[in-house]
Amino acid sequence: MNRWKPYRTAFRVHAVRETRYRGAVLGGIVTQSFFGLVLVALYSALIDPADQTLLRETATYVWLQQIFFRALFHRDSELSEQVLSGNVCYQLLRPVDPHTWWLFRAMAEKTVGVLMRLLPMLALQFLLPEQYRMLPPDGPMALLQFALSIGVGFLVIAQINLICQAITMVTLDNRGVTAMINLIMMLLAGNIIPLTLVPERLRQVIRYQPFAQALDAPIRMYLHTMSAGEWLLNLGVQLLWLAALWALSRLLWRRNLDRIVIQGG
Amino acid sequence: MRYVYDALRMNLRSAAQYGKSFLMQCLAQLVMTAGDLWAVLLLLERFGNMGHWEAGQILFFFGVMQITFAFTEIINRGLGRFSDVMIRNGGFDTVLLRPRSPLKQVILSQADPRRVGSMLVGITAVAIASANLGLRWTFGKVLLLLWSMAGTVCLLMGLFLIEAVVCFFSVQSIEVVNILTYGGRQACQYPIDLYPGPIRILFTCVVPIALCLHVPVSLVLGRPIFAVPEWLVWVLPCAGLAFFALIAFLWRFGVRHYRSTGS
Repeated sequence: MNRWKPYRTAFRVHAVRETRYRGAVLGGIVTQSFFGLVLVALYSALIDPADQTLLRETATYVWLQQIFFRALFHRDSELSEQVLSGNVCYQLLRPVDPHTWWLFRAMAEKTVGVLMRLLPMLALQFLLPEQYRMLPPDGPMALLQFALSIGVGFLVIAQINLICQAITMVTLDNRGVTAMINLIMMLLAGNIIPLTLVPERLRQVIRYQPFAQALDAPIRMYLHTMSAGEWLLNLGVQLLWLAALWALSRLLWRRNLDRIVIQGG
Repeated sequence: MRYVYDALRMNLRSAAQYGKSFLMQCLAQLVMTAGDLWAVLLLLERFGNMGHWEAGQILFFFGVMQITFAFTEIINRGLGRFSDVMIRNGGFDTVLLRPRSPLKQVILSQADPRRVGSMLVGITAVAIASANLGLRWTFGKVLLLLWSMAGTVCLLMGLFLIEAVVCFFSVQSIEVVNILTYGGRQACQYPIDLYPGPIRILFTCVVPIALCLHVPVSLVLGRPIFAVPEWLVWVLPCAGLAFFALIAFLWRFGVRHYRSTGS
Protein backbone atom coordinates (compact mmCIF):
# COMPACT_ATOMS: atom_id res chain seq x y z
CA MET A 1 0.00 0.00 0.00
CA ASN A 2 2.79 2.37 0.92
CA ARG A 3 4.42 1.65 -2.39
CA TRP A 4 1.90 3.88 -4.16
CA LYS A 5 2.04 6.75 -1.70
CA PRO A 6 4.71 8.84 -3.48
CA TYR A 7 2.78 8.62 -6.76
CA ARG A 8 -0.48 9.62 -5.10
CA THR A 9 1.34 12.58 -3.59
CA ALA A 10 2.79 13.52 -6.99
CA PHE A 11 -0.73 13.45 -8.40
CA ARG A 12 -2.12 15.60 -5.60
CA VAL A 13 0.68 18.17 -5.67
CA HIS A 14 0.41 18.68 -9.42
CA ALA A 15 -3.38 18.70 -9.31
CA VAL A 16 -3.25 21.55 -6.79
CA ARG A 17 -0.55 23.32 -8.78
CA GLU A 18 -2.65 23.15 -11.95
CA THR A 19 -5.54 24.93 -10.17
CA ARG A 20 -3.21 27.87 -9.45
CA TYR A 21 -2.81 28.83 -13.09
CA ARG A 22 -6.05 30.80 -13.34
CA GLY A 23 -4.75 33.06 -16.09
CA ALA A 24 -3.79 30.09 -18.23
CA VAL A 25 -7.28 28.62 -17.76
CA LEU A 26 -8.95 31.86 -18.82
CA GLY A 27 -6.63 32.21 -21.82
CA GLY A 28 -7.21 28.60 -22.76
CA ILE A 29 -10.98 28.96 -22.61
CA VAL A 30 -10.97 32.06 -24.83
CA THR A 31 -8.51 30.56 -27.33
CA GLN A 32 -10.20 27.17 -27.58
CA SER A 33 -13.65 28.75 -27.91
CA PHE A 34 -12.40 30.93 -30.74
CA PHE A 35 -10.76 28.05 -32.62
CA GLY A 36 -13.87 25.94 -32.04
CA LEU A 37 -16.06 28.69 -33.42
CA VAL A 38 -13.94 29.12 -36.56
CA LEU A 39 -13.85 25.38 -37.25
CA VAL A 40 -17.58 24.89 -36.63
CA ALA A 41 -18.38 27.85 -38.89
CA LEU A 42 -16.09 26.48 -41.60
CA TYR A 43 -17.49 22.94 -41.51
CA SER A 44 -21.05 24.29 -41.43
CA ALA A 45 -20.31 26.12 -44.67
CA LEU A 46 -18.95 22.94 -46.27
CA ILE A 47 -21.56 20.41 -45.20
CA ASP A 48 -24.77 20.26 -47.22
CA PRO A 49 -27.39 22.10 -45.08
CA ALA A 50 -29.88 19.32 -45.83
CA ASP A 51 -27.71 16.89 -43.86
CA GLN A 52 -28.56 18.25 -40.40
CA THR A 53 -27.33 15.13 -38.57
CA LEU A 54 -23.81 15.34 -39.99
CA LEU A 55 -23.81 19.10 -39.33
CA ARG A 56 -24.70 18.80 -35.65
CA GLU A 57 -22.47 15.78 -35.09
CA THR A 58 -19.51 17.58 -36.62
CA ALA A 59 -20.14 20.61 -34.39
CA THR A 60 -20.28 18.31 -31.36
CA TYR A 61 -17.05 16.60 -32.44
CA VAL A 62 -15.25 19.96 -32.80
CA TRP A 63 -16.44 21.23 -29.41
CA LEU A 64 -15.46 18.05 -27.57
CA GLN A 65 -12.01 18.25 -29.18
CA GLN A 66 -11.63 21.85 -28.00
CA ILE A 67 -12.87 21.09 -24.48
CA PHE A 68 -10.35 18.26 -24.11
CA PHE A 69 -7.55 20.20 -25.82
CA ARG A 70 -5.65 20.69 -22.57
CA ALA A 71 -5.25 16.91 -22.31
CA LEU A 72 -3.95 16.69 -25.86
CA PHE A 73 -1.63 19.66 -26.06
CA HIS A 74 0.68 19.63 -23.16
CA ARG A 75 4.06 21.21 -23.08
CA ASP A 76 6.09 20.21 -20.08
CA SER A 77 9.69 21.23 -20.68
CA GLU A 78 10.61 20.93 -17.01
CA LEU A 79 12.38 17.60 -17.38
CA SER A 80 14.73 18.77 -20.14
CA GLU A 81 15.33 21.97 -18.16
CA GLN A 82 16.24 19.80 -15.19
CA VAL A 83 18.70 17.87 -17.32
CA LEU A 84 20.22 21.14 -18.54
CA SER A 85 20.55 22.59 -15.05
CA GLY A 86 21.69 19.33 -13.49
CA ASN A 87 18.77 19.22 -11.06
CA VAL A 88 17.67 15.94 -12.57
CA CYS A 89 20.07 14.09 -10.25
CA TYR A 90 17.77 14.86 -7.31
CA GLN A 91 15.05 13.13 -9.33
CA LEU A 92 17.21 10.11 -9.86
CA LEU A 93 18.18 9.84 -6.20
CA ARG A 94 14.59 9.48 -5.05
CA PRO A 95 13.48 5.93 -4.31
CA VAL A 96 10.62 6.10 -6.82
CA ASP A 97 10.27 4.93 -10.38
CA PRO A 98 10.73 8.13 -12.42
CA HIS A 99 8.65 6.94 -15.38
CA THR A 100 5.61 6.24 -13.17
CA TRP A 101 6.15 9.42 -11.18
CA TRP A 102 6.03 11.59 -14.32
CA LEU A 103 3.02 9.64 -15.58
CA PHE A 104 1.06 10.55 -12.44
CA ARG A 105 2.18 14.13 -12.77
CA ALA A 106 0.99 14.33 -16.39
CA MET A 107 -2.32 12.70 -15.55
CA ALA A 108 -2.92 15.19 -12.72
CA GLU A 109 -2.33 18.14 -15.04
CA LYS A 110 -4.55 16.71 -17.74
CA THR A 111 -7.46 15.76 -15.49
CA VAL A 112 -7.56 18.94 -13.44
CA GLY A 113 -6.82 21.15 -16.45
CA VAL A 114 -9.74 19.69 -18.39
CA LEU A 115 -12.11 19.78 -15.41
CA MET A 116 -11.41 23.49 -14.92
CA ARG A 117 -12.22 24.26 -18.54
CA LEU A 118 -15.19 21.92 -18.89
CA LEU A 119 -18.07 23.88 -17.36
CA PRO A 120 -17.21 27.37 -18.67
CA MET A 121 -16.80 26.03 -22.20
CA LEU A 122 -20.05 24.09 -22.06
CA ALA A 123 -21.76 27.24 -20.84
CA LEU A 124 -20.14 29.46 -23.49
CA GLN A 125 -21.15 27.36 -26.48
CA PHE A 126 -24.78 27.56 -25.31
CA LEU A 127 -24.72 31.25 -26.22
CA LEU A 128 -24.34 30.33 -29.89
CA PRO A 129 -27.14 29.83 -32.41
CA GLU A 130 -28.54 26.33 -32.13
CA GLN A 131 -26.91 24.82 -35.22
CA TYR A 132 -23.42 25.59 -33.84
CA ARG A 133 -24.06 24.02 -30.43
CA MET A 134 -23.06 20.64 -29.07
CA LEU A 135 -25.49 17.76 -28.94
CA PRO A 136 -26.02 15.99 -25.60
CA PRO A 137 -24.63 12.43 -25.42
CA ASP A 138 -26.59 9.81 -27.31
CA GLY A 139 -27.95 8.42 -24.01
CA PRO A 140 -26.80 7.45 -20.51
CA MET A 141 -25.12 4.35 -21.93
CA ALA A 142 -23.20 6.46 -24.46
CA LEU A 143 -22.05 8.77 -21.67
CA LEU A 144 -20.78 5.81 -19.65
CA GLN A 145 -18.96 4.31 -22.66
CA PHE A 146 -17.47 7.74 -23.39
CA ALA A 147 -16.35 8.32 -19.80
CA LEU A 148 -14.51 5.00 -19.53
CA SER A 149 -12.94 5.40 -22.94
CA ILE A 150 -11.73 8.97 -22.38
CA GLY A 151 -9.90 7.78 -19.26
CA VAL A 152 -7.95 5.34 -21.42
CA GLY A 153 -7.52 8.14 -23.96
CA PHE A 154 -5.81 10.37 -21.37
CA LEU A 155 -3.42 7.53 -20.50
CA VAL A 156 -2.59 7.06 -24.20
CA ILE A 157 -1.77 10.76 -24.60
CA ALA A 158 0.30 10.67 -21.42
CA GLN A 159 2.39 7.82 -22.88
CA ILE A 160 2.97 9.82 -26.07
CA ASN A 161 4.04 12.81 -23.95
CA LEU A 162 6.41 10.55 -21.99
CA ILE A 163 7.95 9.32 -25.24
CA CYS A 164 8.55 12.95 -26.26
CA GLN A 165 10.16 13.62 -22.90
CA ALA A 166 12.41 10.60 -23.30
CA ILE A 167 13.57 11.94 -26.66
CA THR A 168 14.25 15.44 -25.34
CA MET A 169 16.21 13.96 -22.43
CA VAL A 170 19.02 13.17 -24.88
CA THR A 171 18.54 15.76 -27.62
CA LEU A 172 17.95 18.56 -25.07
CA ASP A 173 16.03 20.43 -27.75
CA ASN A 174 12.54 20.75 -26.40
CA ARG A 175 11.14 22.73 -29.33
CA GLY A 176 11.76 20.97 -32.63
CA VAL A 177 10.72 17.40 -31.89
CA THR A 178 7.95 18.30 -29.45
CA ALA A 179 6.40 20.89 -31.76
CA MET A 180 6.37 18.43 -34.62
CA ILE A 181 4.86 15.58 -32.58
CA ASN A 182 2.27 17.98 -31.14
CA LEU A 183 1.15 19.05 -34.59
CA ILE A 184 1.05 15.49 -35.94
CA MET A 185 -0.94 14.55 -32.85
CA MET A 186 -3.43 17.40 -33.35
CA LEU A 187 -3.89 16.38 -36.97
CA LEU A 188 -4.19 12.63 -36.47
CA ALA A 189 -6.24 12.89 -33.27
CA GLY A 190 -8.92 14.83 -35.11
CA ASN A 191 -8.41 18.32 -33.65
CA ILE A 192 -7.90 20.13 -36.95
CA ILE A 193 -10.16 17.99 -39.10
CA PRO A 194 -12.71 15.68 -37.46
CA LEU A 195 -11.74 12.12 -38.34
CA THR A 196 -15.43 11.50 -39.09
CA LEU A 197 -15.05 13.90 -42.05
CA VAL A 198 -12.08 12.08 -43.55
CA PRO A 199 -12.87 10.53 -46.97
CA GLU A 200 -14.27 6.99 -46.81
CA ARG A 201 -11.17 5.22 -48.16
CA LEU A 202 -9.05 6.49 -45.24
CA ARG A 203 -11.63 6.50 -42.44
CA GLN A 204 -11.31 2.81 -41.58
CA VAL A 205 -7.52 3.02 -41.51
CA ILE A 206 -7.12 6.31 -39.68
CA ARG A 207 -9.36 5.06 -36.87
CA TYR A 208 -6.86 2.41 -35.81
CA GLN A 209 -3.69 4.50 -35.56
CA PRO A 210 -2.47 5.35 -32.04
CA PHE A 211 -3.39 9.06 -32.07
CA ALA A 212 -7.04 8.29 -32.80
CA GLN A 213 -7.20 6.36 -29.51
CA ALA A 214 -6.78 9.62 -27.60
CA LEU A 215 -10.02 11.49 -28.32
CA ASP A 216 -11.53 10.17 -31.55
CA ALA A 217 -12.64 6.79 -30.16
CA PRO A 218 -14.34 8.30 -27.05
CA ILE A 219 -16.07 10.99 -29.11
CA ARG A 220 -17.53 8.40 -31.48
CA MET A 221 -18.99 6.64 -28.43
CA TYR A 222 -20.46 9.96 -27.23
CA LEU A 223 -22.15 10.49 -30.60
CA HIS A 224 -23.57 6.97 -31.05
CA THR A 225 -24.20 4.39 -28.36
CA MET A 226 -22.27 1.30 -29.41
CA SER A 227 -23.40 -2.28 -29.00
CA ALA A 228 -21.48 -4.20 -26.32
CA GLY A 229 -19.38 -6.05 -28.90
CA GLU A 230 -18.52 -2.95 -30.91
CA TRP A 231 -17.67 -1.05 -27.76
CA LEU A 232 -15.39 -3.78 -26.47
CA LEU A 233 -13.65 -3.87 -29.84
CA ASN A 234 -13.02 -0.11 -29.77
CA LEU A 235 -11.90 -0.18 -26.14
CA GLY A 236 -9.73 -3.18 -26.91
CA VAL A 237 -7.91 -1.28 -29.67
CA GLN A 238 -7.37 1.60 -27.23
CA LEU A 239 -6.00 -0.73 -24.54
CA LEU A 240 -3.78 -2.52 -27.04
CA TRP A 241 -2.17 0.73 -28.15
CA LEU A 242 -1.90 1.85 -24.53
CA ALA A 243 0.04 -1.30 -23.67
CA ALA A 244 2.31 -0.94 -26.71
CA LEU A 245 3.03 2.76 -26.05
CA TRP A 246 3.58 2.08 -22.35
CA ALA A 247 6.16 -0.58 -23.17
CA LEU A 248 7.90 1.69 -25.67
CA SER A 249 7.98 4.74 -23.39
CA ARG A 250 9.22 2.64 -20.48
CA LEU A 251 11.98 1.19 -22.61
CA LEU A 252 13.01 4.64 -23.87
CA TRP A 253 12.98 6.07 -20.36
CA ARG A 254 15.11 3.31 -18.94
CA ARG A 255 17.60 3.55 -21.81
CA ASN A 256 17.79 7.33 -21.97
CA LEU A 257 17.98 7.94 -18.22
CA ASP A 258 21.13 5.82 -18.27
CA ARG A 259 22.52 7.85 -21.13
CA ILE A 260 21.80 11.39 -19.98
CA VAL A 261 24.71 13.66 -19.36
CA ILE A 262 24.21 15.65 -16.18
CA GLN A 263 24.97 19.25 -17.01
CA GLY A 264 25.81 22.01 -14.60
CA GLY A 265 27.66 21.76 -11.31
CA MET B 1 18.56 51.30 -44.48
CA ARG B 2 22.20 50.51 -43.87
CA TYR B 3 21.25 49.36 -40.37
CA VAL B 4 18.45 47.14 -41.72
CA TYR B 5 20.86 45.47 -44.14
CA ASP B 6 23.54 44.87 -41.51
CA ALA B 7 21.06 43.46 -39.01
CA LEU B 8 19.54 41.07 -41.52
CA ARG B 9 22.96 39.83 -42.63
CA MET B 10 24.01 39.25 -39.04
CA ASN B 11 20.84 37.26 -38.26
CA LEU B 12 21.30 35.04 -41.29
CA ARG B 13 24.93 34.36 -40.49
CA SER B 14 24.14 33.47 -36.89
CA ALA B 15 21.50 30.98 -38.08
CA ALA B 16 24.01 29.46 -40.51
CA GLN B 17 26.40 28.71 -37.62
CA TYR B 18 24.31 25.70 -36.62
CA GLY B 19 24.02 24.08 -40.04
CA LYS B 20 22.63 20.65 -39.24
CA SER B 21 20.26 21.78 -36.52
CA PHE B 22 19.04 24.52 -38.84
CA LEU B 23 18.31 22.04 -41.62
CA MET B 24 16.47 19.73 -39.23
CA GLN B 25 14.30 22.58 -37.99
CA CYS B 26 13.54 23.69 -41.55
CA LEU B 27 12.47 20.14 -42.25
CA ALA B 28 10.27 20.09 -39.12
CA GLN B 29 8.54 23.27 -40.29
CA LEU B 30 8.08 21.76 -43.71
CA VAL B 31 6.49 18.63 -42.29
CA MET B 32 4.16 20.66 -40.06
CA THR B 33 2.89 22.86 -42.88
CA ALA B 34 2.61 19.82 -45.14
CA GLY B 35 0.32 18.38 -42.45
CA ASP B 36 -1.91 21.45 -42.69
CA LEU B 37 -1.90 21.08 -46.46
CA TRP B 38 -2.88 17.43 -46.13
CA ALA B 39 -5.88 18.42 -43.97
CA VAL B 40 -7.04 20.87 -46.65
CA LEU B 41 -6.61 18.23 -49.36
CA LEU B 42 -8.64 15.72 -47.33
CA LEU B 43 -11.47 18.22 -46.96
CA LEU B 44 -11.34 18.98 -50.67
CA GLU B 45 -11.49 15.29 -51.50
CA ARG B 46 -14.49 14.84 -49.21
CA PHE B 47 -16.47 17.89 -50.30
CA GLY B 48 -15.24 18.43 -53.86
CA ASN B 49 -15.53 22.18 -53.70
CA MET B 50 -16.01 24.62 -50.83
CA GLY B 51 -19.01 26.88 -51.20
CA HIS B 52 -18.69 28.34 -54.69
CA TRP B 53 -14.90 27.90 -54.73
CA GLU B 54 -13.22 25.17 -56.73
CA ALA B 55 -10.52 22.97 -55.20
CA GLY B 56 -7.69 24.75 -57.05
CA GLN B 57 -8.84 28.16 -55.87
CA ILE B 58 -8.98 27.01 -52.23
CA LEU B 59 -5.46 25.61 -52.60
CA PHE B 60 -4.31 28.96 -54.00
CA PHE B 61 -5.73 30.87 -51.01
CA PHE B 62 -4.11 28.36 -48.65
CA GLY B 63 -0.71 28.70 -50.30
CA VAL B 64 -0.73 32.49 -50.35
CA MET B 65 -1.69 32.65 -46.67
CA GLN B 66 1.05 30.19 -45.68
CA ILE B 67 3.72 32.06 -47.65
CA THR B 68 2.66 35.39 -46.17
CA PHE B 69 2.50 34.12 -42.60
CA ALA B 70 5.80 32.26 -42.88
CA PHE B 71 7.52 35.33 -44.32
CA THR B 72 6.17 37.44 -41.45
CA GLU B 73 7.54 34.94 -38.95
CA ILE B 74 10.95 34.96 -40.63
CA ILE B 75 11.45 38.69 -40.16
CA ASN B 76 9.38 39.02 -37.05
CA ARG B 77 11.02 36.81 -34.44
CA GLY B 78 12.22 39.84 -32.48
CA LEU B 79 8.65 40.90 -31.79
CA GLY B 80 7.43 37.36 -31.23
CA ARG B 81 9.91 36.78 -28.42
CA PHE B 82 9.66 40.33 -27.08
CA SER B 83 8.30 39.44 -23.65
CA ASP B 84 10.98 36.80 -22.94
CA VAL B 85 14.06 38.44 -24.32
CA MET B 86 13.36 42.13 -23.96
CA ILE B 87 11.00 42.64 -21.05
CA ARG B 88 11.70 39.87 -18.55
CA ASN B 89 15.47 40.02 -18.91
CA GLY B 90 15.53 43.78 -19.09
CA GLY B 91 17.16 43.66 -22.53
CA PHE B 92 14.99 46.55 -23.65
CA ASP B 93 17.13 48.92 -21.56
CA THR B 94 20.07 48.51 -23.90
CA VAL B 95 17.80 49.06 -26.89
CA LEU B 96 16.62 52.38 -25.47
CA LEU B 97 20.18 53.55 -24.96
CA ARG B 98 21.11 53.23 -28.64
CA PRO B 99 20.57 56.13 -31.02
CA ARG B 100 18.24 54.22 -33.38
CA SER B 101 14.48 53.77 -33.37
CA PRO B 102 13.61 51.20 -30.66
CA LEU B 103 10.89 49.62 -32.80
CA LYS B 104 13.28 49.05 -35.71
CA GLN B 105 15.88 47.56 -33.39
CA VAL B 106 13.42 45.18 -31.75
CA ILE B 107 12.02 43.91 -35.02
CA LEU B 108 15.49 43.36 -36.45
CA SER B 109 16.99 41.91 -33.27
CA GLN B 110 16.25 38.33 -34.32
CA ALA B 111 15.25 36.47 -37.44
CA ASP B 112 13.81 33.04 -37.87
CA PRO B 113 14.90 31.63 -41.25
CA ARG B 114 13.63 28.13 -40.29
CA ARG B 115 10.22 29.12 -41.58
CA VAL B 116 11.57 28.75 -45.10
CA GLY B 117 10.28 25.19 -44.78
CA SER B 118 6.69 26.45 -44.42
CA MET B 119 7.21 28.87 -47.28
CA LEU B 120 8.29 26.06 -49.59
CA VAL B 121 5.04 24.20 -48.91
CA GLY B 122 3.06 27.39 -49.57
CA ILE B 123 4.88 28.03 -52.84
CA THR B 124 4.30 24.43 -53.93
CA ALA B 125 0.59 24.77 -53.18
CA VAL B 126 0.35 28.00 -55.18
CA ALA B 127 2.28 26.49 -58.11
CA ILE B 128 0.09 23.37 -58.24
CA ALA B 129 -3.09 25.44 -57.89
CA SER B 130 -2.02 27.86 -60.62
CA ALA B 131 -1.18 25.04 -63.04
CA ASN B 132 -4.40 23.25 -62.16
CA LEU B 133 -6.53 26.33 -62.76
CA GLY B 134 -4.67 27.20 -65.96
CA LEU B 135 -4.11 30.68 -64.57
CA ARG B 136 -2.71 33.14 -67.11
CA TRP B 137 -0.19 35.30 -65.29
CA THR B 138 0.29 38.90 -66.35
CA PHE B 139 2.69 41.45 -64.92
CA GLY B 140 -0.26 43.24 -63.29
CA LYS B 141 -1.45 40.08 -61.54
CA VAL B 142 2.00 39.27 -60.14
CA LEU B 143 2.35 42.85 -58.93
CA LEU B 144 -1.08 42.83 -57.28
CA LEU B 145 -0.34 39.51 -55.56
CA LEU B 146 3.02 40.71 -54.20
CA TRP B 147 1.57 44.05 -53.12
CA SER B 148 -1.30 42.36 -51.36
CA MET B 149 1.09 40.01 -49.57
CA ALA B 150 3.24 42.97 -48.52
CA GLY B 151 0.20 44.68 -47.03
CA THR B 152 -0.72 41.52 -45.15
CA VAL B 153 2.82 41.14 -43.79
CA CYS B 154 2.50 44.67 -42.31
CA LEU B 155 -0.88 43.77 -40.87
CA LEU B 156 0.41 40.58 -39.25
CA MET B 157 3.42 42.45 -37.85
CA GLY B 158 0.94 44.91 -36.37
CA LEU B 159 -0.81 41.99 -34.66
CA PHE B 160 2.46 40.71 -33.18
CA LEU B 161 3.21 44.28 -32.15
CA ILE B 162 -0.02 44.41 -30.11
CA GLU B 163 1.38 41.56 -28.06
CA ALA B 164 4.57 43.55 -27.45
CA VAL B 165 2.62 46.68 -26.47
CA VAL B 166 0.58 44.75 -23.92
CA CYS B 167 3.87 43.50 -22.43
CA PHE B 168 4.67 47.05 -21.31
CA PHE B 169 1.65 47.00 -19.04
CA SER B 170 1.59 43.37 -17.95
CA VAL B 171 4.81 41.38 -17.60
CA GLN B 172 2.98 38.07 -17.97
CA SER B 173 2.76 36.71 -21.46
CA ILE B 174 -0.65 37.17 -22.90
CA GLU B 175 -1.54 34.23 -25.05
CA VAL B 176 -4.99 35.56 -25.87
CA VAL B 177 -3.56 37.80 -28.59
CA ASN B 178 -2.47 34.55 -30.28
CA ILE B 179 -6.10 34.18 -31.28
CA LEU B 180 -5.69 36.93 -33.84
CA THR B 181 -2.28 35.86 -35.15
CA TYR B 182 -2.43 32.05 -35.24
CA GLY B 183 -6.23 32.05 -35.23
CA GLY B 184 -6.08 34.44 -38.16
CA ARG B 185 -3.78 32.11 -40.06
CA GLN B 186 -6.06 29.16 -39.36
CA ALA B 187 -9.25 31.02 -40.29
CA CYS B 188 -7.97 33.04 -43.24
CA GLN B 189 -6.35 30.18 -45.11
CA TYR B 190 -9.86 29.81 -46.51
CA PRO B 191 -11.57 32.69 -48.35
CA ILE B 192 -13.53 34.91 -45.99
CA ASP B 193 -16.92 34.52 -47.67
CA LEU B 194 -17.16 30.93 -46.39
CA TYR B 195 -17.70 32.28 -42.89
CA PRO B 196 -20.84 33.68 -41.26
CA GLY B 197 -21.31 37.37 -40.40
CA PRO B 198 -19.45 37.92 -37.10
CA ILE B 199 -16.22 36.18 -38.21
CA ARG B 200 -16.40 37.98 -41.56
CA ILE B 201 -16.73 41.34 -39.77
CA LEU B 202 -13.84 40.51 -37.41
CA PHE B 203 -11.42 39.77 -40.28
CA THR B 204 -12.67 42.59 -42.49
CA CYS B 205 -13.30 45.59 -40.24
CA VAL B 206 -11.29 44.89 -37.07
CA VAL B 207 -8.32 42.90 -38.40
CA PRO B 208 -8.57 43.50 -42.16
CA ILE B 209 -6.85 40.32 -43.41
CA ALA B 210 -9.72 39.86 -45.84
CA LEU B 211 -9.22 43.33 -47.34
CA CYS B 212 -5.45 42.99 -47.63
CA LEU B 213 -5.32 39.44 -48.90
CA HIS B 214 -8.58 37.81 -49.89
CA VAL B 215 -10.06 40.56 -52.03
CA PRO B 216 -6.92 41.12 -54.16
CA VAL B 217 -6.22 37.38 -54.43
CA SER B 218 -9.81 36.77 -55.52
CA LEU B 219 -9.26 39.34 -58.26
CA VAL B 220 -6.06 37.57 -59.35
CA LEU B 221 -8.13 34.38 -59.57
CA GLY B 222 -10.68 36.26 -61.65
CA ARG B 223 -13.49 35.84 -59.13
CA PRO B 224 -13.71 39.03 -57.03
CA ILE B 225 -15.32 38.55 -53.59
CA PHE B 226 -16.72 42.07 -53.19
CA ALA B 227 -18.13 43.99 -56.13
CA VAL B 228 -15.69 46.91 -55.91
CA PRO B 229 -13.94 48.78 -58.73
CA GLU B 230 -10.54 47.44 -59.66
CA TRP B 231 -8.61 50.55 -58.63
CA LEU B 232 -10.05 50.20 -55.13
CA VAL B 233 -8.74 46.65 -54.87
CA TRP B 234 -5.26 48.06 -55.49
CA VAL B 235 -5.76 50.50 -52.60
CA LEU B 236 -7.06 47.90 -50.12
CA PRO B 237 -3.68 46.44 -48.99
CA CYS B 238 -2.98 49.93 -47.58
CA ALA B 239 -5.29 48.84 -44.75
CA GLY B 240 -2.40 46.67 -43.54
CA LEU B 241 0.01 49.63 -43.55
CA ALA B 242 -2.58 51.73 -41.71
CA PHE B 243 -3.09 48.99 -39.14
CA PHE B 244 0.66 48.76 -38.51
CA ALA B 245 0.93 52.55 -38.25
CA LEU B 246 -1.88 52.65 -35.69
CA ILE B 247 -0.27 49.99 -33.48
CA ALA B 248 3.15 51.64 -33.90
CA PHE B 249 1.57 54.80 -32.50
CA LEU B 250 0.31 52.83 -29.46
CA TRP B 251 3.80 51.36 -29.16
CA ARG B 252 5.28 54.83 -28.60
CA PHE B 253 2.75 55.34 -25.88
CA GLY B 254 3.78 52.00 -24.36
CA VAL B 255 7.50 52.80 -24.49
CA ARG B 256 6.84 55.85 -22.34
CA HIS B 257 5.28 53.57 -19.74
CA TYR B 258 8.18 51.13 -19.75
CA ARG B 259 9.66 50.29 -16.40
CA SER B 260 12.67 48.03 -16.40
CA THR B 261 12.49 44.66 -14.69
CA GLY B 262 16.18 43.86 -15.12
CA SER B 263 18.93 44.40 -12.62
